[in-house]
Amino acid sequence: MNLNYSDEQLMLQEQIAKFCSADYSFDKREKIIANSLGHSIEIWNQFAELGWLALPFSEKNGGLDFGPIELSILFEEFGKALVVEPYLSTVVMSGYLLDNSSVDSSALIEEIISGTTHVSTAYVEANSGYDYLNPQTQILNGKLNGNKSIVLNAKHAKYFIVSASDNSEMLIALVAADAAGVSFNSFRTFDGQTCGDVSFENVDISENAILFKGDEAIAALNEMINYATLCVSAEAVGCMSETVKKTVEYTKERQQFGVPISSFQVLQHRMVEMFMEAEISKSLLIKSMLQLNSKDPNALKTLSSLKAQIGKSGKFVGQEAVQLHGGMGVSNEMSIGHYLKRLTAIDSQFGNRSYHIKKFMHL
Amino acid sequence: MDINFSKEDLAFRQEVKDFLANKYPKHVKEKQEKGISLTKQDMIDWHKSLYEQGWAGYNWPVEYGGTGWSPIQIYIFQNELAHAQCPTILPFGLNMVGPVIYTFGSQEQKDKYLPDILQFNTWWCQGYSEPGSGSDLASLKTKAVKEGDYYIVNGSKTWTTLAQNADWIFCLVRTETTQKKQEGISFLLIDMKTPGIEVKPIITIDGDHEVNSVFFTDVKVPVENLIGEEGQGWTYAKFLLMHERFGIAGVPNQIFSLKKLKEITKGRIDDDLQREIAEYEIELNALEFTELRSLAALANGSHPGAESSILKIKGTELQQWLTDIYVRSAGQYILPYEGPDGFDSNSVPSGPEYSHTAVSRYLNFRKTSIYGGSNEIQKNIIAKAILGV
Repeated sequence: MNLNYSDEQLMLQEQIAKFCSADYSFDKREKIIANSLGHSIEIWNQFAELGWLALPFSEKNGGLDFGPIELSILFEEFGKALVVEPYLSTVVMSGYLLDNSSVDSSALIEEIISGTTHVSTAYVEANSGYDYLNPQTQILNGKLNGNKSIVLNAKHAKYFIVSASDNSEMLIALVAADAAGVSFNSFRTFDGQTCGDVSFENVDISENAILFKGDEAIAALNEMINYATLCVSAEAVGCMSETVKKTVEYTKERQQFGVPISSFQVLQHRMVEMFMEAEISKSLLIKSMLQLNSKDPNALKTLSSLKAQIGKSGKFVGQEAVQLHGGMGVSNEMSIGHYLKRLTAIDSQFGNRSYHIKKFMHL
Repeated sequence: MDINFSKEDLAFRQEVKDFLANKYPKHVKEKQEKGISLTKQDMIDWHKSLYEQGWAGYNWPVEYGGTGWSPIQIYIFQNELAHAQCPTILPFGLNMVGPVIYTFGSQEQKDKYLPDILQFNTWWCQGYSEPGSGSDLASLKTKAVKEGDYYIVNGSKTWTTLAQNADWIFCLVRTETTQKKQEGISFLLIDMKTPGIEVKPIITIDGDHEVNSVFFTDVKVPVENLIGEEGQGWTYAKFLLMHERFGIAGVPNQIFSLKKLKEITKGRIDDDLQREIAEYEIELNALEFTELRSLAALANGSHPGAESSILKIKGTELQQWLTDIYVRSAGQYILPYEGPDGFDSNSVPSGPEYSHTAVSRYLNFRKTSIYGGSNEIQKNIIAKAILGV
């Protein structure tokens, strides 16, 4: 057993941390959110230059072939800085499906890695809840029909990867966003990102646009969700540790009754509880990323325990941080409330605490 | 990074399993499996079996007769012991006073005490808390006044675990009244047979006699029983507390206890309780890996620090949660009382077997968030040492 990052992993961590503190301040993030894109082309190009967009892709597709450990490192740092760039949807989710399909997608992957193209995966439907394996969207006789919900970064996607059914098995298809019959409505999310409803009406689907079929489609979708679950959990761990840090700093500065409020034992103990929640969540993150990395038979059970714990700990840490910041905590100008927003959003994605406790019990 | 045990670690685990299969005293094993209380002699037999294997000093350095095991090996060892339902290894000699003696004691003291601790020829108890000094340990008042070759000790200690069995007690005593209360404290070893010592039982809410009051009236203690320097006792005490907190999370025992709970409640409990057990299990996994993280850090050469306070707090919270789940799993069958006027092993009441010990464990485990430095004190330590407030 060895729980130390390799030198290469430590370098990656340092590089991302440096970037986030130098080029992704909270003020800058606010400006990025305020522009109509909802993310920054400049930042995205920097991600490309730094090689981060190539991280999880296989070597044959021009990637660095990094796995769960490196993705966790990246997302933990992203969580600390509340990065809103659509890395999860384009690189992790869509990237996973393109990279693992038997259809050659190397040209599109090259575009993703170079930073010119976004791809969004449309797998949620209005009535699907967390059951992603029974889509109502259909592909029949080469035509795609249906509606997808909560498609992350839908507005800027050049392609959608769509889950559907042909009435006998599941299909996952690649669809150009500008194809005839595709339309969408874009929305802000409360945590500073964007998503959309996407409709497909008699969209032509050629045979080579089908990335996965049947059992392979189910396996690919499940595996993609697992990766995404790990990533947002790592992001939540980053959010939590930063929230604890900021709360400790704030209480040391904030004076009431003539003393810093950090001198009050009742607040100290609450911060210790926040700290412990962040730490035990991090423990499950490390266990989970290592088990996924070594394809351990218990990996999925641990992943569900991680996501369940993140739901509980994230809520606790986020809420307590707001409380300890007092009125400043509920002010949109301060960063602290934005951590609560992101932590709340993360619990809702890819199965919330309640869902993952049930999954944990049945695995 | 690698989450798996090395080949050497796996071979080591097999070695522990072999020991437990062949050399773990059978009469102790039987009682443990049936949940029958162990006698003093049973405990001695258990510890002697470890000594004969060369494993009594499982967390001691080789030069003092210990195994010199790595933190990971200690973890594996403790895990296997828990899974075999072994009794706890009494911490007072091996985890507490032993390390203090080999770290701060003189050569004569090492020669005199360490072999008996390893062989379990002496049963030790801990004289820290006093009726007026609980969390504010440094306010202790038991006095030791030097007269020639002796200290004359007067005062009282409380919550002294298993003092009724003890041959020796290690005590924090006040040798000087100083401005700063920590500075006048010394660390003294006292033979329990010395005239003037009286042990009185304290019965706890589970009906058990585990802890005691110990009274000292003009007890003559030879000056050579002082550890290290006079007035430095607080430093040694803090060192000891750090060791005491390590392993206090009781993860291996909880894993075993959870496994058992699942077996015995199968088909008996409702969905809500099953869900709560899953919630508990998730947090136990998180605690287990938190402990592994700190073991990995120890293996890299860092010393046990304030992180051990996290293990203490979370570990005891989870222990208490589990005993609470046991109680609620058993429903009304927890009611019959075991003990005087209650039932005994000859007249066991009806109802699920586990229900009869559920309440006494639940009540007994209330102590865990109080002892070893209460959880509130642990939070003070984390706030100061880690958060810096």
